[in-house]
Amino acid sequence: MTLRGVGTVAAVECSKLAAQFKPRAALAACAAGSFAFAAALRLQTTVPEDTLFGRSAKESGFALSLVVLGFAALWVVPALTSIVAGDLFAAEDRYGTWTMMLARSRARSEVFAGKALVAFGYSALAIAVLAASSIAAGLLIIGPAPLVNLSGVALTPSQALARTAFAWVATLPAALALTAIALLLSIVTRSSAAGIGVPVVGALTMQLCALVDGPQALRTALITTAFDGWHGLLAEPRYYGPLVRGVLASVAYLVVSVGIGYRTLQRRDIAG
Amino acid sequence: MARTALEALGVSKSFGPRAALRDVDLVARRGEVHGLLGPNGAGKTTLMRAVLGLVRPDGGRIHLLGRPFDPVADAVPDGVAGMVDTPAFYPYLTGRANLMLLARLDAADADASATRARVDAAIEESGLVADAGARVAGYSTGMRQRLGLAAALLRSPELLLLDEATSSLDPAAAREVRDLARRLAADGAAVVWSSHDMAEVEELCAAVTIVDCGRVIFSGGVDELRERAPSLPHALRTSDDRAARALASRCIGVRATPAVGGGLDVSADAAALDAFVIALGRYGIAVRALERRTRSLESLFLELTAPVDLDVACAIGAEPADDEPDWGLAS
Repeated sequence: MTLRGVGTVAAVECSKLAAQFKPRAALAACAAGSFAFAAALRLQTTVPEDTLFGRSAKESGFALSLVVLGFAALWVVPALTSIVAGDLFAAEDRYGTWTMMLARSRARSEVFAGKALVAFGYSALAIAVLAASSIAAGLLIIGPAPLVNLSGVALTPSQALARTAFAWVATLPAALALTAIALLLSIVTRSSAAGIGVPVVGALTMQLCALVDGPQALRTALITTAFDGWHGLLAEPRYYGPLVRGVLASVAYLVVSVGIGYRTLQRRDIAG
Repeated sequence: MARTALEALGVSKSFGPRAALRDVDLVARRGEVHGLLGPNGAGKTTLMRAVLGLVRPDGGRIHLLGRPFDPVADAVPDGVAGMVDTPAFYPYLTGRANLMLLARLDAADADASATRARVDAAIEESGLVADAGARVAGYSTGMRQRLGLAAALLRSPELLLLDEATSSLDPAAAREVRDLARRLAADGAAVVWSSHDMAEVEELCAAVTIVDCGRVIFSGGVDELRERAPSLPHALRTSDDRAARALASRCIGVRATPAVGGGLDVSADAAALDAFVIALGRYGIAVRALERRTRSLESLFLELTAPVDLDVACAIGAEPADDEPDWGLAS
């Protein structure tokens, strides 16, 4: 396996994604969704009080971005991370193109690494677009007023911007773990429906599990718990324990999923 | 440069309890079109897939262009190309865009203009110029087959494996593909040509490997195959074909059947035929014509892969009747 080979496969996969409607539409929705939400919020008289930072969503643009983050972690991120990853390998089965792809000058390890790189890259890009658009929509439509954090302390706009951006970054490990699970399902089931659908359903199930009483170790092991790790960044004093535990859990999911996926593809017979 | 482009020795592969390949050898030399024959399910496509790294053999070794090839770890070497089954492409892309992607996969270092030139050349050679700009979703099977051929040509093949490459093409297009295979072989490439069309293989190939039930049952030149055939057909005309046929039924290793247009078709090896002709003379049957027929590859193929053993059938028919003289041939 060479870096050049992995890069070549990744470039080819990017070209394929660019030619497809679904990944482009998802990115466009990420870019436009926050603006639509901010505009609707500004027009209405009430605020989403039962949501974290919902009370101040009409006062500070940073709060609006954090409301979007809370909602996205629940529903949008699992879908965004699996929309490409869950289809990337299964699509070759659907189109019957494995034979064409693997009978070229790239080793299977390079094909796997290149595709995985694109899947992780797309997930990161989608979250970056969502983060950037939600912050931009908040600042442009709501305004850059100071943000009152979870401890009641007002953060200056520059502090609020840094913490909000960090909060979005903190969701990346969990998002990448979901991406890895989608990749694994895409390889093992050879079905795009399973690759895309199961991670979304799984993430929602984990969120439900987090709501019921159970051992703390189990709650910590849920990927979705990692989506709440950013709360500690917006408290005084800041605390990082949940964030670190979430990152570790996410890395574990990622390593195991990628490892099994790699081994499965390496051992697979493309037998028509 | 190795004279042998493909050397697959002792290749075995099982899918669960079913053995698809058992100790299969396939050797293809540069400058020749090598036929790969066998009935459906014989293991031809599995063997090609193993050579292209798509299927992991359970045993055996493969050398491609003189270098060892590990189907699990290695990428297919440059210069090795194949088209197995009906080729499939990304339907949302045009034929040209599909080829561009494959060309980029092959040559990471090539600049865009060089890649475009290679793609254009492959499109022209495969006869797809008019349709290269259309989305593959609208392609017929024949057009996909041409596109598959173009994808293989992109790799400037020194070893080209073609599986039923003309099965969906019209006669004129099929001839073009056969001409292309011949041209590549003339230029020093090795072409492995798997086909069910025996006339096609006979026309193209100097050497063949026949597989049946996952085993090689013959490998060698087409002429050698004819020589090795268990019985050679002859056209026989006698003064009394009916009596000659009755006599043949009592001779070990001889089978005579009425020929279209009169006379008999006689299958026998040289010794049995000699004894039969002598017996005809003894029995007072004049031989008016006896000539060796050129057997088609198809009849040889059917004979080699048929479950019925012709010699055994003849031996059974040769039991002398009590009231008939023993011609001294059944010993």
